[in-house]
Amino acid sequence: MISLKNISKHFGHTKAVQNISFDAKKGEIIGFLGPNGAGKTTTMRMILGLLHPSSGQVKVNGLNPVDNRLKIVSSIGYLPENNPLYLDMKVKEYLSMIAGVKKVTSEEEVISIVKDVALESKYNSKIEELSRGYRQRVGLASALLSDPSILILDEPTSGLDPIEQDKIKTLINKISKNKIIIFSTHILSEVEDISNRLIIINNGEMVFDGDKPKLKGGVEKLFKKLVK
Amino acid sequence: MKFLLKKELSFYLNNPIGYIVVLLFSIFANFLFVKDIFVTGSASMRPFFEILPWLLLIFIPALTMRMISEERRTNTLEVLLTLPISELNIVISKYLSALIICIIALLLTTALPMSMYFLTGDVGGKLYLPEIIVSYLGSIAVASSFISISLFFSALTKNQIIAFLTSVVVIFFLVIFSTDFAGNVLPTFLQTALNYLSPVTQFASFIRGVIDVRSVFYFLSFTAVFLILTIIDLERRA
Repeated sequence: MISLKNISKHFGHTKAVQNISFDAKKGEIIGFLGPNGAGKTTTMRMILGLLHPSSGQVKVNGLNPVDNRLKIVSSIGYLPENNPLYLDMKVKEYLSMIAGVKKVTSEEEVISIVKDVALESKYNSKIEELSRGYRQRVGLASALLSDPSILILDEPTSGLDPIEQDKIKTLINKISKNKIIIFSTHILSEVEDISNRLIIINNGEMVFDGDKPKLKGGVEKLFKKLVK
Repeated sequence: MKFLLKKELSFYLNNPIGYIVVLLFSIFANFLFVKDIFVTGSASMRPFFEILPWLLLIFIPALTMRMISEERRTNTLEVLLTLPISELNIVISKYLSALIICIIALLLTTALPMSMYFLTGDVGGKLYLPEIIVSYLGSIAVASSFISISLFFSALTKNQIIAFLTSVVVIFFLVIFSTDFAGNVLPTFLQTALNYLSPVTQFASFIRGVIDVRSVFYFLSFTAVFLILTIIDLERRA
């Protein structure tokens, strides 16, 4: 479970996040929506313990993530924005390293995730030789290793073509059972397709938290109404 | 930790840069010693070990400059920090991989004492092997201290060149504190203190074939201090 209570984050005089509060429970797929620079990544980094909130409290499974990073990250799979990878490594080497660090001892588990993200054909390729879509799958596979109960995906479909976007969306839907998934995006249709809960952030403030509108195009209408 | 250590080592072993740096070090080290070997006319490795810190001053920052700065620049450090691995393990695996590469580079220079040992055997001027072995152990200690400094400066910036230059400058000052030049330009009390702080001064006893416990303690604490500072820097959160 993730719990944010009145968290704010300032960088000097810049207010990146202001008074955001929400709880996330198992089974929720939260679409974290907002324009560029709204504070989505900053909020995610605070959940991961990569940033200290300037005020407020973040708890992941009842623990403060900054003080308990090692305990917290064992239950979190994270796909960072722009998906940084070690380009000089092969997919196999990279995933083996991540699996080793995450204490995934069975190679079958790695292979099974590689199949889930449809990466078998590139398993022995160097990451630098892969297209953006395949690199995104490598990032996603590394986030999925060790079957974490929480997945934080920062713009998982950013820069992908529509076909690749659909594949990633299908995959997120497939793996979402009994997990908390928070994914940030500024693609409105994505939220409609994947999430069951919507949080909209604008200028660092949370302007909406609730079920996603049921009607087609409802997310777009809501977003345009709230984010001017 | 072994997975990260393997990753760091395979970067150097699967990449031309590792071979180039190690080979250049080996070529310079061998050349700078061999060029004067017949001029000095004595079968001693001391001149080699006396120039070694000056070579390590360039070689080690070149080897370690990317280790953390590149992780910061490409944001892969964020990936590491969201994995169940401590900052201590991250730093130690990087330190150990650099130390292993350094030991390989130093091993490439062992042809010098070996050939000198066999060449001088017939004329009764054999090298004293324990002294050579202790000198090599001292060289590893000097390399270890330089790696810890360079790793620290690599952690402070996203720019490899800045990491390299700052490491070179700081190590350069540490090296010259042990020279006569520092003695001539600095007040005596300051020169005495700085001379003691120089890894080269502590290395001198190893070159003479003596393992001085104080020097061993110095190198261990010197390395530990900079590794701890690096860990603290990684643990820092905005």
